Amino acid sequence: MQEETIQQSLAGRFPALAGQIRLQRSRRVWVEVPLELFHPVLDLCADSLDVNILLTITGLDEGEAFGVIYHMAGPGGIIVNLKIRLPKDGASIRSLTPRFPSAEAYERELKDLLGIEVTGLPEGPRYPLPDKWPDGQYPLRKDWKPDAAGSEEGGTHA
Amino acid sequence: MPDQDSVKIPVGPQHPSLKEPESFLITLRGEKITSASVRMGYNHRGVEKGAEGRTYTQDIYLVERICGICSHAHATCFIQAVEEVAGLEVPRRAVYIRTLMAELERVHSHLLWLGVAGHEIGFDTLLMYSWRDREVVMDLLAEISGNRVNYSMNTLGGVRRDLSRGQLQKILKDVDVLEERTQTYIRLAQEEITLIRRLSDVGVVTHEDAVRLAIVGPTARASGVKRDTRKDDPYLAYGELDFDVVWNEHCDVYGRTLVRVGELMESYKLIRQIVKAMPDGPITVKAPRKVPAGEAISRYEAPRGEDVHYVRGNGTEKPERVKVRAPTLANLQAVSHMLQDGYLADMPIVIAAIDPCFSCTDRSVTLNRLDTGGRDTSDWSALRKLGIEFYRGLGVDFAGLNRQLSNSMRRT
Amino acid sequence: MLLPLIQLLVFPGLLFLAVIGLAGEFADRKLYARFQNRMGPPWFQPLADLIKLMAKEEVVPTEADRLLFTGAPAFALTSVVAAFLYIPVWGPGALLSFNGDAVVVLYLLTLPTFTYFLGGWFSRSVYAMLGALRSLTQLFAYEVPLFLTVLGPCLLAGTWSLSELTRFFGAHPWALLANAVGFAMALISLMGKLEKVPFDIPEAETEIVAGSFTEYGGRFLAFFRLSFDIEMIVGASLLAAVFLPFGLQFGPVAGFALYLVKIFFIIAVIAFIRSAVARVRIDQMISLCWKVFAPVAFLQVLVNLILKGVLFS
Repeated sequence: MQEETIQQSLAGRFPALAGQIRLQRSRRVWVEVPLELFHPVLDLCADSLDVNILLTITGLDEGEAFGVIYHMAGPGGIIVNLKIRLPKDGASIRSLTPRFPSAEAYERELKDLLGIEVTGLPEGPRYPLPDKWPDGQYPLRKDWKPDAAGSEEGGTHA
Repeated sequence: MPDQDSVKIPVGPQHPSLKEPESFLITLRGEKITSASVRMGYNHRGVEKGAEGRTYTQDIYLVERICGICSHAHATCFIQAVEEVAGLEVPRRAVYIRTLMAELERVHSHLLWLGVAGHEIGFDTLLMYSWRDREVVMDLLAEISGNRVNYSMNTLGGVRRDLSRGQLQKILKDVDVLEERTQTYIRLAQEEITLIRRLSDVGVVTHEDAVRLAIVGPTARASGVKRDTRKDDPYLAYGELDFDVVWNEHCDVYGRTLVRVGELMESYKLIRQIVKAMPDGPITVKAPRKVPAGEAISRYEAPRGEDVHYVRGNGTEKPERVKVRAPTLANLQAVSHMLQDGYLADMPIVIAAIDPCFSCTDRSVTLNRLDTGGRDTSDWSALRKLGIEFYRGLGVDFAGLNRQLSNSMRRT
Repeated sequence: MLLPLIQLLVFPGLLFLAVIGLAGEFADRKLYARFQNRMGPPWFQPLADLIKLMAKEEVVPTEADRLLFTGAPAFALTSVVAAFLYIPVWGPGALLSFNGDAVVVLYLLTLPTFTYFLGGWFSRSVYAMLGALRSLTQLFAYEVPLFLTVLGPCLLAGTWSLSELTRFFGAHPWALLANAVGFAMALISLMGKLEKVPFDIPEAETEIVAGSFTEYGGRFLAFFRLSFDIEMIVGASLLAAVFLPFGLQFGPVAGFALYLVKIFFIIAVIAFIRSAVARVRIDQMISLCWKVFAPVAFLQVLVNLILKGVLFS
C-alpha cells in the first residue's frame, strides 16, 4: 500500500522517525518530525516520494510550544502531514517559498496570527491582519482573548 | 522610483468589477499592466478563532457561513474531518444526500459564475439568461433545505433533513430543463465570436506555472492539470459514481469557461445517478457531544477548487483547532501572475475567472480597535486624508495623473 | 426673429429632440430588456431619470478644470441640436440647407465625442481619464467608416447637401439598394459613436467605473445623458436621411410618421445587436474598424462611383 511504502521510506532514511509515523487511515500519513530533520524529510517526500504539493500549513498553540503542520499531497489522494514543534519564544523557521511559492500566504498567517518568525519571505504586505494592527497581539494564541485587549463598546462598527 | 511612462492605480477594495473587497495595485503603461500586487484580508471575520470557542455543532453553522456559494462545501469538509476524529460512520443515505447537495451547489455556483463572467465582459444578456436558469436550481435547493444558500443540511453523524420521493422526482425533472439550457451555453461558448475573442489568450497560466503555483479547481484544470479531489481522494459517494474530470489545455479564461460548462454537464450526470441510486435507511447516527482527542484533515472539491479543513479535537465538546484553506487562497496568488502583461480591460474577467470567493479566503480574526482606549471616529475629511496618504505611500500619485497617463499612453 | 427662436428651442429644436430622445431611450431600454427576458422600464423612466438627476447635487472635483468640466455637457447638447437642423426629416428639405451640409452634420456629430473626452480628461480622475482616452481612440476607429459610407450616396447623387440628396433619391428610389451594405456599415459605426455594446468601451462599467462620466452628477450628468439620447436620434435621422429617404413625397404628416418608423427601426436594430454580443476590447475594435469596416465602406464608395458613371453621366 502506498501509505506503508512512504512509512518505510521515511523510517528507512531517518531512523529517528521510526516510532513517529502514524497511518491513521487510507491515504493519510501523520509524522512527528524533529525540528532539525524537517527540511531533509520534506525534500525526501517531495523529491523521491512524489509528495510535492503543499496544501496548507497549520499553526497550533500547544501550550508550552508551537506546533506547525505542513500538509503535503501526493498522487493517489495521499496526504503526508509533517509536524514540527517550535519553542514559543524565539521560534523561527525558514520559508518554503523558494520551492513552494504558494507557501507565502500560509506562512504569513503563521506570522500574523501566532507570532512565529519566518525568515526568507518575499517582500509584500502582511496577511491577513490589517495594516494598523498593534504589535504583539497574536489572535490565534490560546491566551489571546478578543475582549481582554479592550474592544470598543457599540459605536463605530456594528 | 516612479517610471516616467507608467502610472500606478489602485483597483479596489471597492470597484464595480469586484464583488468582494480586495485591493489590487496595478502599474499601467498605456492600457497594459506591467505589474500587479494583491492585498488580501479585507473580509476576515475571525472564523478559526471563533470555531475554538464553540461546540462542534455550532461550528457547522459558523463554518457554513464562511461563504454563501460554497457553504455546503465548507460545512461538509469540516464535518468529515470531525467525523474522522470521532470515529463515526455516517449512514449511506446521508452520504448520498450530502453528495446530492454538493452537486446541486456546484450547478448553482457555475451558473452564477457564467453570469458574472458575462457581466464582466459587457455581455449582460448572458448574465440575465444564466441567472434566470440559476433560479431553477435555487428553487430546488430552497425546497429541499429551506434556504437558497446556507443549506444547513449537515449535522455531526449525518444530515438533518430527508428527501421525499416527490422531491427526488422533481430534481430529475429540473435537471432535464437545466441540461437543455446548458447546451445553449455550450454552443454559445463555442460559437459566439465576441465571447471567444474576449476570453481567449487572457489570464494565461501555463501548465508549468499552474503546477509551480499549486493552483486548484477549474483554473488549474484549464491549464492541463488534471486534479479533481473527487477522483484523486474520493470522499462522500464519489467513489461509487461514474463521471469524468473535465479539463483542457487552453490555459486561458476561455479554457476555464469550457471547464465550468463541462462540469455542469457532469454534475447533471452525477445528480441523476445519485437520485436513482439513493439508498434507504437512516439519515443520521448518534454522535457524542465530546469528540475524543485526535486530528484529521479532510478535502473536498468545491466549485472553485480544492477546499482543505484540518480539525483537532481535545476530548471536549469544542475543537482545539480548526484550520481552513479555501480554494481561492490557493488561486489568488496566481492572479498577480496572470494580470502581468495583460490589458487593463481584461482585469475584471481575469480576476473573475478564478471564480474568487474572498469570503472563503480571509477568515481569520475579527477586527477590534485595540490600540486606542477611547472612541475612534473619523469625519469625511479625515477619512479622505487617510486614503490619500495610504495610497501615496504605495506610490500612487493623484496630483500628476494627467501627465502620467499621457506619458504612459504616448509610449504604447 | 421669433420663428427661428421657436424652431431652435422648441420644434424641431431642443424640446422636440429632447422628447423624441427620451422616447428613443425608452424604446432602446425596453427592447434590450425584452431580449434579455426581463420586464424593462415603464415609458416614463427616461424622463423620471432626467428629473431626478436635475434635482441631485453636483460635485466638481477640486482637481478638475472648472470651466471645461462644467462647460462640456452644455457644449455636447448644443452641437447635437445644431446638427439636427440640417437633416431632412419629413420632407425632402431640411430646416436649413446648403451644399456641403452633409459634411457639416458629420462634423457636428463628432463634437459630442470631443466633449466627452474633454469632460473626462479635465475631471482629472483616473477612471475618467482612462475613459476619455478610450473615447478619443475609439473616435479614430469608427469615424472613417462612417464618413465613407455617407460619402457614397453623396457621390451618387452628385451633391453635398442632405436636402438635395433626399430629393435625388426621391426621384430614383431604386438607387438606394446600391447602398445597402453601406447602411449596415454605417449602423455599426453609429453604434461606435453612441458607445453602445459592443463598442461601449469608453464607459465600461466593470473596468473603469463610468469612464468619462465618473465624476459627473446632477445637472451636468443630466445634460450629458440627454445629449447621448439626442445623439442617437440625430444619428438615426442622418442614417434615415441618407440611406432610407423614401416616402418623403406624401406630405408632412405621413412623412413624419414614416420618419418615426424609420428611426425606431434603427433603434430596434441597435438594441438587438446590443443584446447579442459582448464588449470588444479597444485594440480589437481598432483592428476591426480599420481592417474590415473601412475597406468595406471604401468598396461601397467605389460601387457608387461606378454606378454614377454608368447610369447618370
